[in-house]
Amino acid sequence: MRDRMRIALTKGRLQTRSVELFEQVGLDCSPVRDPGRRLIHSLPNYPLDVVLAKASDVITYAEHGVCDMGIVGKDTILEHGGAFYEVLDLGFGVCRFALAVKEGTDFYGTYKTRRIASKYPGVTRAFFEAKGMDVDIIKIEGSVELAPILGLADAIVDIVETGATLKANGLIPIETVAEVSARLIVNTASMKLYKAQIEDFLTKIQQQTA
Amino acid sequence: MKLTINTPEGTRDRLFAECLERRQVQALLTGLFRQRGFIEVSTPETEFYDLFALTGSAIAQESMIKVADPSGKICVMRPDSTTPIARVAATKLKTVPLPQRLYYEQTVYRAHGNGGNREIPQCGVELIEASGKKADLEIIATAVDALRVCGATSFHVELGHAGFFLDLAARMKLEEEELEELRALIEGKNFTALGALLAPHKGEPAWSALTRLSHLFGGVEVLQEAQRLSGGSQELTYLMELYEELSSAGYGPYLRFDLGMVHQIDYYTGVVFRGYVEGAGEAVLSGGRYDNLVQVFGREAQATGFAVDVDAVARILPPVVLSKLKTVIHYDPGKLAAALRALDGSSPGTCELSPARTLESSCNLAREKGAKEVLVFEEAGERVVRI
Repeated sequence: MRDRMRIALTKGRLQTRSVELFEQVGLDCSPVRDPGRRLIHSLPNYPLDVVLAKASDVITYAEHGVCDMGIVGKDTILEHGGAFYEVLDLGFGVCRFALAVKEGTDFYGTYKTRRIASKYPGVTRAFFEAKGMDVDIIKIEGSVELAPILGLADAIVDIVETGATLKANGLIPIETVAEVSARLIVNTASMKLYKAQIEDFLTKIQQQTA
Repeated sequence: MKLTINTPEGTRDRLFAECLERRQVQALLTGLFRQRGFIEVSTPETEFYDLFALTGSAIAQESMIKVADPSGKICVMRPDSTTPIARVAATKLKTVPLPQRLYYEQTVYRAHGNGGNREIPQCGVELIEASGKKADLEIIATAVDALRVCGATSFHVELGHAGFFLDLAARMKLEEEELEELRALIEGKNFTALGALLAPHKGEPAWSALTRLSHLFGGVEVLQEAQRLSGGSQELTYLMELYEELSSAGYGPYLRFDLGMVHQIDYYTGVVFRGYVEGAGEAVLSGGRYDNLVQVFGREAQATGFAVDVDAVARILPPVVLSKLKTVIHYDPGKLAAALRALDGSSPGTCELSPARTLESSCNLAREKGAKEVLVFEEAGERVVRI
């Protein structure tokens, strides 16, 4: 029996919120707050080791079972997919995927094939497939808002929090594609093999987030 | 034209120890299956796509690897062994008295979007035309023994029942779409979304049991909890009976339950199970009762079985250590028989014949390969040259 569980946290904002959540339930996260050069951080007062990773790697680690659990945004889950248990909605990192167009344009008012720029081609494809619409999807890595301005795309599908960036660039969100928030995921085999340890952790978190 | 010579994504060359490890697991499993009265069948590597379309296979079309048949029909690389074996049982074995115990040792092929092995070697059994408790007991006990015989130490086989979820769902007022969403959320153990989906149904008869369903996994106590929440169901009673019988045969410590195991509910008709081994990130064994599959091919036969993922089991076992070359044999013309006798008398992998003509080259070869000695057969007799 392994006695320590391992969790992967998405670096950046979700990491900060996750650490706050862990501290609220009484876990000592000082090693994560002061990481130094170490990549794995053992919590001193709870049998949990923390790994920090890029969002899509969190899914990869949890899927392969090298981490028993992970905290990752629903946006990455939707785009990346994978086989794991998505057990809890943690209620932070809340935003949404939205379809946004240049202000004053009628996106649906034409039979012309629409061209959509997005960092999330998978989410975009699924959204338009469900509508039965054929669209051209263009994968953009950086600032997606630029694509309609440059005339590369008719619309974008992107993460929207306040809408301020869109507005500043003359774009308006016209439709919500999916709601996004941070999720706690669990490897399928770990859930079964280390039920007691994982449930103990989940119960703590659930009590705090409920 | 640029030609590609590396292996296609999801496939690979296997060298040395990896082959031996796989063979070892296969030998242990097939040895057990034969001992239990199963006989081997083997089905083609390619099958018509129609076969899997006809049976409503749980494997998505895009996960099957297609090849074109010279007749123009679409074939697929065998994505699963149970369907072809059900066909065999219903057609070729038509006149054979049932029940039939069949086993197979063959690869299944699945296309994955991103990564993952495309070739999955499996060993499995099917018990055709046997309904009822004794058949389930035999197959579950064999599943436990399959993992045990491979040398797994920390493992368990988890039982569920396709009927329990359907029984609970039937007590609720659910639209068909809701039912499918519910099934997916329970299977994915999505606690938050499950609670939200069921919230409007609060107060309906099976609400509390369904809300808890994705938590109902673990030891035998989950059956009692489920019993309490649902007010009882015949599937729970049946699982309890299986557990008692298996426990009295010494299998209790290896059994767990997951009542939220609700995958492929159109395919499996009764008890379903999966095997988990410490060190493997996903189930290494899966199976269950499928009473409606064989009749698709024209013969009524209730059946149950399971498959073991050979590579997944091989990976968690202690690695096979290859034997080291100790002796190189150099022989003069006319001494082949003596050289072969010595070779065959040594333990495999520790001795090889030198193809070199002169003793000096044989010694060089031995040195290069790290052997300790050259065994020389010559006119004057036999001698050993230490390296």
